[in-house]
Amino acid sequence: MAATDNYEMAVDLDPGADEMVVDDVPRDDTDRLKSNATKRKGRGFSERRAGGVDNDEFTSGRFESLEDTATGQAQRSVEGWIVLITGVHEEANEEDVSEKCAEYGEIKNLHLNLDRRTGYVKGYALVEYETFKEAKAAIDGLNGSTLLDQVIKADFAFVRGASASTSVQERDTRRHRRGGDRRDERRR
Amino acid sequence: MATGEEELYVRYYVGHIGKFGHEFLEFEFRPDGKLRYANSSNYKNDTLIRKEVYVSPSLIQELKRIVTDSEILKEDDKLWPVPDRVGRQELEIVMGKEHISFTTAKIGSLVDVQESKDPEGLRVFYYLIQDLKCLVFSLISLHFKIKPI
Repeated sequence: MAATDNYEMAVDLDPGADEMVVDDVPRDDTDRLKSNATKRKGRGFSERRAGGVDNDEFTSGRFESLEDTATGQAQRSVEGWIVLITGVHEEANEEDVSEKCAEYGEIKNLHLNLDRRTGYVKGYALVEYETFKEAKAAIDGLNGSTLLDQVIKADFAFVRGASASTSVQERDTRRHRRGGDRRDERRR
Repeated sequence: MATGEEELYVRYYVGHIGKFGHEFLEFEFRPDGKLRYANSSNYKNDTLIRKEVYVSPSLIQELKRIVTDSEILKEDDKLWPVPDRVGRQELEIVMGKEHISFTTAKIGSLVDVQESKDPEGLRVFYYLIQDLKCLVFSLISLHFKIKPI
């Protein structure tokens, strides 16, 4: 793994800055989590993919995301706001869920996924409302209520990221800025 | 995370190298909630879908429940069919102090599971993968309004 990955912008930033602060700590949350694990199991730790194919095709390059149209912590999706309901009774059906959710606004979309082994409801539902107001009302109203005698929870499914990565166009300029911020922090 | 609960990382890959090059589907949930999804299929027209979005802590909790309930962390891939020319699957999960990185061949159906040397373990994998894919496809299609596959 290239140690430079995290500092791809370092080159265009103030070449005169001192280099002595080089982080030895893992690069991000995922690396930290992995390095803190003490029990490892599986062939994936020793194997390499055939044909020289490795993770680069996944990790390198850009991932597109939607523009940062957020309200509070919640993140808007392309056509509306997605509410996650958990604790859904395994014998609930779409009618049960939509009946309950329709009280707060028109349901644009409803996914009630099934457990592939049992064929019963997996335990969560994803419900789309057009407006933030409807979604928020649904969350406030549904969270802690019961469905088929089982207490359900409700929350937004998507949030703004900690680093609030945004549209592809914006990301570049932002990355420069963030790179600069990082330098500043280190000097302090 | 400030919740004080165990953090979670989940990554799944399935792919192969064939006459259309390297075709794969891969997604990961990172501890900060970032969901990344990539799907490259070179068949007929070149398409590479790469999307990312942050999911809420509640969604991560539900993902954790699905992973925990499956008891996949108790399994081991050492008797599973090894990846071959037909394809390769990888499942990597870190939950707290436990880290698994399993690999196996593509599984066409439950028959492949039954005929393997570890049908019980492979069945756990087989169904968990389907449940994870189902969740991810719902999230990606609802958020971006695309058909993930």
